[in-house]
Amino acid sequence: MFEHVLSVIIFLPIVAGLLLLVSPASRTVSRFTGMAVSLAALVLSLDLYTGFQSTGYLEFVEKVPWITSLGISYYLGIDGISLFILMAASVLLPMVYFIFGTREKGYYANLLIVQGAMTGAICAADMILFYIFWEVMLLPVFFMLGLYGGTKRLPATLKITLYTIAGSLLMLAAIVYLGVSYHAQFNEWNFSMEKMAQLNLTGEIAAIAFFGFMIAFAIKIPLFPFHTWLPDAYTEAPTATTFVLSAIMAKIGVYGVIRFVIPVFDYEFARFALLLTYLGVIGMMYCGLAAIAQKDFKRMLAFSSASHMGVIAVGAFCMNIQALTGSIYQIIAHATSTGVLFLLLGILEERSNTRTISDFGGIASKAPVFAVYFAIAMLASVGLPGTSGFIGEFMIVLGAIKFNAIIGVLTGTTLIIGVCYMLWLFQRVFFEKGNPRTEQFKDLSLVEGLTFLPVIVLILLMGIYPQPFLSKITPSTALQFNQPTHTLAHAPAENALKLELTTEK
Amino acid sequence: MTNDLMLLMPLIVVGVGAITLMIASTYNKLSHEVAAFVTAGLFALAFLVQVTSCIAGDTILFSDIFSGILVASKFSKAAGLIILACGFFTALSSQSYFKQNDFCSTEYYCLIAYAAAGMLLLTMAQELITIFIALEIMSLAIYILVGYDRDNVISAEAVLKYLILGAFAGTFLAMGSALIYGAVGSTKFVKIGEYIASVGLTQSPLMIGGAFFIFVALLFKAAAFPFHAWVIDVYDGASVPVTGYMATGLKTAIFAVFANFLVTDGALQQKWITFLFYIAVLTMFAGNLIAIGQQSLKRMLAASGIVHSGYLLIALVAVGSTEFTGSVIAYYLAAYAAGTLGIFCALSYLGGANETRKTFDDFKGLAQSRPYSAAAITVFLLSMAGIPPTAGFMGKFYIITSAINAGQVTLAVLGILSSIISIWYYLRLIVNMYFYNAEEQFNEPVLSSFAPACTLALVVCVFAISLYPIMI
Repeated sequence: MFEHVLSVIIFLPIVAGLLLLVSPASRTVSRFTGMAVSLAALVLSLDLYTGFQSTGYLEFVEKVPWITSLGISYYLGIDGISLFILMAASVLLPMVYFIFGTREKGYYANLLIVQGAMTGAICAADMILFYIFWEVMLLPVFFMLGLYGGTKRLPATLKITLYTIAGSLLMLAAIVYLGVSYHAQFNEWNFSMEKMAQLNLTGEIAAIAFFGFMIAFAIKIPLFPFHTWLPDAYTEAPTATTFVLSAIMAKIGVYGVIRFVIPVFDYEFARFALLLTYLGVIGMMYCGLAAIAQKDFKRMLAFSSASHMGVIAVGAFCMNIQALTGSIYQIIAHATSTGVLFLLLGILEERSNTRTISDFGGIASKAPVFAVYFAIAMLASVGLPGTSGFIGEFMIVLGAIKFNAIIGVLTGTTLIIGVCYMLWLFQRVFFEKGNPRTEQFKDLSLVEGLTFLPVIVLILLMGIYPQPFLSKITPSTALQFNQPTHTLAHAPAENALKLELTTEK
Repeated sequence: MTNDLMLLMPLIVVGVGAITLMIASTYNKLSHEVAAFVTAGLFALAFLVQVTSCIAGDTILFSDIFSGILVASKFSKAAGLIILACGFFTALSSQSYFKQNDFCSTEYYCLIAYAAAGMLLLTMAQELITIFIALEIMSLAIYILVGYDRDNVISAEAVLKYLILGAFAGTFLAMGSALIYGAVGSTKFVKIGEYIASVGLTQSPLMIGGAFFIFVALLFKAAAFPFHAWVIDVYDGASVPVTGYMATGLKTAIFAVFANFLVTDGALQQKWITFLFYIAVLTMFAGNLIAIGQQSLKRMLAASGIVHSGYLLIALVAVGSTEFTGSVIAYYLAAYAAGTLGIFCALSYLGGANETRKTFDDFKGLAQSRPYSAAAITVFLLSMAGIPPTAGFMGKFYIITSAINAGQVTLAVLGILSSIISIWYYLRLIVNMYFYNAEEQFNEPVLSSFAPACTLALVVCVFAISLYPIMI
């Protein structure tokens, strides 16, 4: 294990992507470069995973002063929370290069850049550095969506870009406000995350800054009522972009809440947690109901993904260790299951040139392997026991009931909506009578089948034997509730039915 | 003495060079291409001299001869470097521009050098009459440059508008100086500052009137609300390199004066802070409203220049309250200059003969035939929009930090809102370049590689300024 492993994981894909963009590489060369680089990142990440000590604090820290007059540094590190999002990105992204073999050079190059930028956002421990990666990761999405998207891509591109940048810039103001407050309280400039947690913020401006952060993350997650960009963007984007957006980028939104908002704005967070959990539940219901009504396969999955992000958000907002741990577990579960679903849908679309659900039928008999994979990912997505989705959802519901019984019950029952649309979809697409369009449908090739296999195995493994994963997450989540200055201990009573249950001793 | 001479040397190099060039241009032997290279060489030489000269604190130049009217400081040095770099890139991109447009003569280049001399003088001036003279040196050269294409009606209209309004602004400055002299008995910033500190700003009607007139003149030149209306037509009428030069070099010089004036008269700044606050806000939003509706690229860039003036005014509001505000302004000017000059460099070889490509639609599909140029323009636009990791982001970040640090949270938030709006019209060009199919071929040969080389150099600058923010 060498010292700058995080930097390498971040900048190797970015540099490779930029080189591809300026070079006259052919499609095949681009694809294999992308494959090689993302596999290299995967190997490094696995190495990182095995070397991870589960101390709960940041590990693999790299810290180099950058702008000394403002105390900004190039500061990287991962803990149990970020480790798993990093792993999800590293495990899932190489699949794209195996599955989509004939796309343009810019497609692969942008995928590499977005991988590096997302990894950077996950590893950054300095707020300015985080912000930079956070903004940079939008640019490849902008170009992929605009260049390679569907017919109505332009409005969708502008919508997602303006929406996200607007949110990010408000967050920038909030970050600067934190930096200036830190300067005022401790008489030195610093933007690193753990220093910010020592801040003692009160007053209305603190609440405004809190919402500056929350809106930026809520747009990315997306949390109701900031979800309106999602259906268009997810539907119009090329499959790999939808995959990146839903499987990883949305998770970075939740990660941002856990990493930056909860430790810094603990008081504001406790004050508004109930509101936020209700928004999460409303988002779950709304997007779930919308998913039932969709005729377009991809749009349905988009709403389904948004609905499940609502569950994860509820877990992150419940302010107790079960819900938070469940939320992070569910992040990986959702990344793997939704990622697989979107990729399988991409294959389906490529082979049958349609996305309308009623055009499909009887695929199970034509392509059994495809159907089995889809079934496993789908069942994980709805949280069937024995799959990864169950563990996360169970812990979130448990934590939500501890936090507030109404929220808990609503979360638990809303999960049923997911089962409705998913099973109905499965019935219409994979069973029922055959359709002329699906007559010629070919099953997954050997390469495709082997590409999906590790992730499918991971889904099952995480559902049956979660302990090795949980043991890496728990020290960090426990630390979140153990900080000396934490005011969650004084959470206002109206936010919980029973005060003693909201905090961990 | 030697140190003073070295500090003044960039100004001397540019000024003497300009005069020599003017004399040389009476001979037919001097082709305008040679003139372009000589001018660029002058700027490069002056730049190197400026970089190597070290400044410890504020140095009063030739205090016995000039009696303290010229002061070199770190801020003036930084502003001078930006101006010289702007001149360098303008001269080289003009060379490419005149391959496709045929109205050049050698005097064009010596006018650029004259304007730069005026700008350099402005950055160091600490006295009102000197400011007036420097401003006129600069403005006269710029007037001629704006109207250089004499056969072009739009250009003639632009120079007429600019000349009349600019002359008014100059007169206002002279009037304001006279009134202040009447009150203070001196035109030096130091004396004015002492006077305000002891007597107060509002005690004397002469002082109020004088300060008002000077602000009007400076706000006019800085294209701030409500004196911003001329910018659109003038920038549109001037040829591309001149527009780029005005948008960057001229703005740098004006904001340098503005900051010097406000910093020295700290009390003045306190009194006018509310006034500047509203000016900044209105400038940003007026600029944005104008920019959103434009079809022509140059007009959009002109309007976005107004918006950037608004951001710089934010920094001016925060001037004096923190230790690093001067460098914030310099940094932002550098970042803005790199981005804006870059776009104008690119336009000067992409615009086609007689600037046929003007509107957003004309640049549809540029990325397919000219991927590198389109990528460069994208970088510049992202920098102007303030997206990391470009210099524009860092500049905006410093401005917001200095504003919040000075207690101007509202102003910072309004600045952020304004930059959210501005994303729309910057993205629009990127969308046009990348996401549409080409309606025309951009296949005319590039006759000179200097403008593309400048563009590339400025792309490097945009990232370098961002990643190594040395001036802060």
